Amino acid sequence: MLKSSPAARRLLAGLVSSRRIGSPFSLLQLSTAAFDAASNPSTRQDQPPAHQAPETSNSREHDGEDHRRSTGKRGGVGYEEEQARVLRAALSHVPRLGWSVTAMILGAKDAGISPSIVGSFPRKEAALVEFFMDDCLQKLIDQIDSDMELDKRILSDRLSKLTRIRLEMQAPYISKWPQALSIQAQPANLPTSFKQRAVMIDEICHAARDQGSDVDWYVKRTVLGGIYSTSEVYMLTDHSPGFRDTWNFLEHRIKDAFDLQKTIQEATYLAEAVGAGLGNSMQGFMKRMFQK
Amino acid sequence: MMMMALLRSGTSTILPRYPPSILPRFLHSHATSFGFKQVQEDEKSKLVGNVFSTVASSYDLMNDLMSTGLHRLWKDRLVSMLHPFAGMKHLDVAGGTGDAAFRVLESINSVSNKALQEGLADTKQETKIFVCDINPNMLNVGKMRAIERGFGEDRSLHWVEGDAEALSFADGSMDGYTIAFGIRNVTHIEKALSEAYRVLKRGGRFLCLELSHVELPVFKQIYDYYSFSIIPAMGELVAGDRASYQYLVESIHRFPNQETFAQMILDAGFEKVEYDNLVGGVVAIHSGLKL
Repeated sequence: MLKSSPAARRLLAGLVSSRRIGSPFSLLQLSTAAFDAASNPSTRQDQPPAHQAPETSNSREHDGEDHRRSTGKRGGVGYEEEQARVLRAALSHVPRLGWSVTAMILGAKDAGISPSIVGSFPRKEAALVEFFMDDCLQKLIDQIDSDMELDKRILSDRLSKLTRIRLEMQAPYISKWPQALSIQAQPANLPTSFKQRAVMIDEICHAARDQGSDVDWYVKRTVLGGIYSTSEVYMLTDHSPGFRDTWNFLEHRIKDAFDLQKTIQEATYLAEAVGAGLGNSMQGFMKRMFQK
Repeated sequence: MMMMALLRSGTSTILPRYPPSILPRFLHSHATSFGFKQVQEDEKSKLVGNVFSTVASSYDLMNDLMSTGLHRLWKDRLVSMLHPFAGMKHLDVAGGTGDAAFRVLESINSVSNKALQEGLADTKQETKIFVCDINPNMLNVGKMRAIERGFGEDRSLHWVEGDAEALSFADGSMDGYTIAFGIRNVTHIEKALSEAYRVLKRGGRFLCLELSHVELPVFKQIYDYYSFSIIPAMGELVAGDRASYQYLVESIHRFPNQETFAQMILDAGFEKVEYDNLVGGVVAIHSGLKL
């Protein structure tokens, strides 16, 4: 993925986020299976004919035991949507009860479903955290699509604005966010959380319309990923009103990283602009010379 | 006396208590299978009854010997997959001597669970665990074992005599339904599955622990040899009854394999039907969600 083409971007986002493309043999199958809870079949894209979504049998190795799954969808609403409803209702209990099974049980009760459904989530609390991360990514994408002001600023401003939008989504849960981070850091959950973060950073970089290529593409995303994580952790102990200190911190880090580093592209554009400007003034000068 | 002592040893049966029947779909319903033999339906319950009474005296010991004690872990795994919560209404069918039910109760009452669920204290809903079995003797034994384990005063346990194919519970009244080593013995598995679907609430889970099929190449041969040669011999040695254990092994092989049984559960209306193979397929836990 050298150039972040729209198709490649959607593929990456779709594989990990709530929009499900779903090929049972994809390399990121582990993460697609993990995101069943938040999948939204109504936005499914074109699939190869061999793949049938409702009756697919996926197989994956699970702790050395054989594990097979076939999904059956009866009636109008699939179990994934019900699970997503339960998780969404559970989010309202998180500030009080943390990212815990208790919050999920209360969420199930709010959704009018027996709390037994909590037993059907493979990694319980991690499912709740991953749902939240997916949800935030979706909200970020929606905001990017509707927000037109991004063109005007310089790169570092665009990046810091987008990162700030994303971090602000975590503000209501900030008291329990350390718990979410520790859940994401557990070995069983690490691959999924890493992929979610990678997709989010990619989304932000792409929305900032940064024309990177080759090594630069990876370097930018890694750097931004690092800045995002440090700002996230900074936010945990930030008690300033409206997280003002965090945004300051974020802006400074991004400026340091992205403005001082003169990429080839920006240097080229600068040279072209200067050249064009000089050329125009030369042309104008020559015209005036020869017209007179 | 000795039988009571053996029964108190704290294990429960994985042998049939129901008239068992594994019906190939093309068989007429009046004929059914008893192990590898075909018999009339009414004859079968007598045969199974005989099997049960013959092995009853030493089945606890035999269970431990045959599974080398693993059946306890399998039941632990079943209950942890269920993930019980305080205030739940749970039904354990073919629960007989109460193994699964005690585990559910212990899980709900455990210290860690109490700490986790203190946020639910305001709900004040009473946990109810129903143990349903077709055989009243097994239920009596279960009641005695409950007293021994300290659940005598516990108002959550309810012992109900009933048939898995015609449960006496209201529609949509249960949060969880488990059946451990019992569904193999039900005459009409589809009826038991649809009854399970009926009594579960929306969001309720169905869990079935059962001996199943092994497909792994080398292990399959070892397991077949173990089942057909060693187990009946063990039965003869320990329980003095080769035929009953021969029946047991044959009924395991006649039971539908993992995929087929999963399809039957799907047909009953459940969603998110999955199965976990334990010990390479010797035992499988099937789960389904009612929505």
